Amino acid sequence: MTFPENPPGIGMTEWLDDFLLRSVLAGLIMVTIAAPMGCLMVWQRLAFLSDTLGHAAVLGVGIGLMLQMVPIFGVLAVALLIVFSLSRVSNFNSALSETTLAIISHTGLAGGIIVVGLLPSQAVNLESILFGDLLATTAADLLHMLVTTVVLLILLVHHWRAFVALSVSREIAQAEGVEVRKLQFLMYAMIALLVAVMMQVMGVLLIAAMLVIPTTSARLFSRGPEQMVALSALYGLGALAGGMTSSYHFDWQTGPAIVVSASVLLLATLALSRILKSQAR
Amino acid sequence: MSDDLLLRARDVSYGLGGRQILDRVSFELGPSQITTIIGPNGAGKSTLANIVTGLISNFEGEIERRPGLRIGFLPQKVYVNTLMPLTVERLLRLTRKPGDSEIDHALAQTEVGYLKHRQVRSLSEGELKRVLLARTTLGNPDLIVLDEPTSGVDVTGEIRMYELIGELRSQLQCAVLLVSHDLHLVMSQTDQVLCLNQHLCCSGLPESVSRHPEYLALFGQKAADSIAIYTHHHDHVHDVSGEPAGHRHD
Repeated sequence: MTFPENPPGIGMTEWLDDFLLRSVLAGLIMVTIAAPMGCLMVWQRLAFLSDTLGHAAVLGVGIGLMLQMVPIFGVLAVALLIVFSLSRVSNFNSALSETTLAIISHTGLAGGIIVVGLLPSQAVNLESILFGDLLATTAADLLHMLVTTVVLLILLVHHWRAFVALSVSREIAQAEGVEVRKLQFLMYAMIALLVAVMMQVMGVLLIAAMLVIPTTSARLFSRGPEQMVALSALYGLGALAGGMTSSYHFDWQTGPAIVVSASVLLLATLALSRILKSQAR
Repeated sequence: MSDDLLLRARDVSYGLGGRQILDRVSFELGPSQITTIIGPNGAGKSTLANIVTGLISNFEGEIERRPGLRIGFLPQKVYVNTLMPLTVERLLRLTRKPGDSEIDHALAQTEVGYLKHRQVRSLSEGELKRVLLARTTLGNPDLIVLDEPTSGVDVTGEIRMYELIGELRSQLQCAVLLVSHDLHLVMSQTDQVLCLNQHLCCSGLPESVSRHPEYLALFGQKAADSIAIYTHHHDHVHDVSGEPAGHRHD
């Protein structure tokens, strides 16, 4: 969770190469995919869905470990199952009501904690599931993240125009030939993938924060959708750098340190936009 | 279908959740013609517009469109996302790729050229309606479908909006299908009226519809009188519309 003490006799560079490089890469991958996905989710008011899938992901991890699979596949299975069930409900919008999502979210979390509790204690670290463990990223984790992110980016590029149209107005998008229902299901499935990717770094409780906070900062100074995505990525990068640095210097937990950095950046941006506005007057 | 028709609807029926919304509605849309659908709330006006535009496809009956028919559509309720930074210019490029001059021209036609670089979330409802009206003219449509284009617009703006729609029709040489709850404001621009209350009560020229017994039963004599006044005083639009209208249904 926190930076290990530099073992005596081993030079800085040797362990830097290893886990720090992996952590930085994992963080960069997360920032890259969180920016466009976070923007779409904020535009479509879906941030709460990522929270729900995140909470339910605990169950996925538990089941995954119980069946002795890689936990990320358990997470993906549970998240996709939820998304699919939601899409089967005839009225998609009412399926996404706060109540429904809260029920799924907390049932998943509670069930997950029970399952995890049944596992032998050395098999799982609940804290790292909840808050992430960037510094423990393995080469296999990195590979999973990379593949998932590339898949998501390809889907995003391919459907970007339609996704933006859908975000602006469902009615207009539908009238102009966007296959709204299909696209929405795709979006939910992509969020499921995203949760599985980001869990590694941020933990299930902090995923939504990284999707929402940098995006909100970016919105203050953006004039167009693509600009907002680019700025979100910069804010995400800033949060990552700030979080990892403070984690290193003050021995803070990395995931929470990244989130706090993102929030500090947001506050600074808010203050700046206030100042600029009052000067413009 | 003959060449001088854009669209023909035959016995179109539609039900939702056991409730009949449209009952065997038939009509035709000709080129460069303005057709107004009127009717009380819940008469199925928007449903019919959505069937014409293809948004609703699981209806009974038949819709024949001229091959390659291009339709521009302004839905009744457009929820515009306030969380997304979006300029008016980008809104016009949402699903198509019109050139700069095409965008300038479209916005100028609805008198909102000055809004081009504004954020969509900062527009008033009236401004937004005009921008969306401009949007429907992109891509040279043969037919534009406008579902209550003046909801949320004040009365003066409403009258100007209908004039603009008339001007668009003559400039673009396109047909217009207009949904309205208010016949007297659209009278002078309308070639054909479809009076709808689940079934097609009556249809035809505005003056004849306004005297039809079923129309009178739906809207009352007062509405018919105000139409009569209006049609005889085309040049005093503002005075007449300023009067409290007894037949409004919202």
